[in-house]
Amino acid sequence: MTVSVATLALLAILVLLWLLFGSPTNESASSLDALQIERLLPSNCHHFPQITQMLKEEDRQFMRMRAQHHVERKWNAERRRILKQYLRGLGQDFVRVQRLARLVSALSPEIRKGQELEWMWLGLQFHVSYRMVELKLAFGSLSPEGLAELTGIITGVAEELEHRMSLIAESSPSRLRVNLGS
Amino acid sequence: MIECTLARMDFSLFDSIRWAATALIEVVVLALAIRQKLFDRLPFFAIYLCILVVNEGILWVTYSFTGISSHTSFYVYWTMQALQVTVRGVVVYEICRELISPYAGVWRLCRPFLVLMGLVLASTAVATARRRLHPISATTLVAERGLEFTVVGILILGLIFCRYYGVRIDRYVALIALGLGFYSAVQVANNTFLSEWLTGARFPIWEALRNASFNIATVFWLVALWKPLPARQAVPVLLTPGEYDRLAPQVTLRLRELNTRLLEMWK
Repeated sequence: MTVSVATLALLAILVLLWLLFGSPTNESASSLDALQIERLLPSNCHHFPQITQMLKEEDRQFMRMRAQHHVERKWNAERRRILKQYLRGLGQDFVRVQRLARLVSALSPEIRKGQELEWMWLGLQFHVSYRMVELKLAFGSLSPEGLAELTGIITGVAEELEHRMSLIAESSPSRLRVNLGS
Repeated sequence: MIECTLARMDFSLFDSIRWAATALIEVVVLALAIRQKLFDRLPFFAIYLCILVVNEGILWVTYSFTGISSHTSFYVYWTMQALQVTVRGVVVYEICRELISPYAGVWRLCRPFLVLMGLVLASTAVATARRRLHPISATTLVAERGLEFTVVGILILGLIFCRYYGVRIDRYVALIALGLGFYSAVQVANNTFLSEWLTGARFPIWEALRNASFNIATVFWLVALWKPLPARQAVPVLLTPGEYDRLAPQVTLRLRELNTRLLEMWK
């Protein structure tokens, strides 16, 4: 009992230190005026056309037929590395969208408990699933189509938020002096 | 005369010097709080600092007249401890309110959780203490541990909200909160040890730890109030009430879709 409580107390102090002085994960929600919204919007998912170009099936067949085995293996490894980086980028994009959603919540005079809990839960689910997909990619069993679907959804969320923030900016330009055009 | 008083109090010279030093730091921290006009920003914390100084005076007088081992000293000491831990709980709530209340929606969401957590933990503390009737000192230690746990719990929950919604915490508030949380967390561990092993004997190391943790906390507060306090953060300009309602369902739908897709990809 004593040891477990002492451990709990130590843990509480460490958590306090992290919560109070750890590097902030969120943009400060003090005001939208100074905030650069474009820093929060997804950027990696816009590179998907280049990625799909790289993942074309013809290339794979060409390499299988023409290239030596070790060259093909190296080429596959390189493709997987790039895919992994891209997936990481998509994860970052998701986190950015989530931050922007939290910012909107923070600056809303009324928010719903159920809604916020659901977002929290969905965020948690996303992180777990993301790790699993990452694992699958590491074993080379993730199709480019799967990645394309993921990209589409993230881009969809981003566009929705971007559109909404533009409308807010239009209705009250003094409150939201940010460049949403890019 | 001082020697006579110390002898009656059952205090060594070292204990007396340490007590005097603690009291001096408390007075300095209170003086800084008054100078920095902390009563305007965190009034309950300023009141808590006043209570600390008054507490030292009351204990000194009580110990001088009745001795440290008397029943009177015991009850006076624990009454003052109960008062202090209660005010610490209020201060922690005040800190959470100071940080989060400018964000009206988040505060409305957070406040019931804080109150509920406070009530549940405090009730548990009282219930646990009531079950343990002997010895009385062990009962008070269990009660105090529960209440200190309540203080840490409320503080951590409030800070989780701050972090989740990106609420900025000024350095001086962070140091004050750290002092309160640190002291309470150490007391939780300390009181567990004492209530488990208390057999009438005194444990100098654990007493020293209790005192040292309090001294460390006061040093945090001293550092927090040493420099002039920053200007108050500008009140955030909130969005119009309908924006959240318009945005939330779309984002939720997308997030759900994303999670479903991720799960499909994983399977």
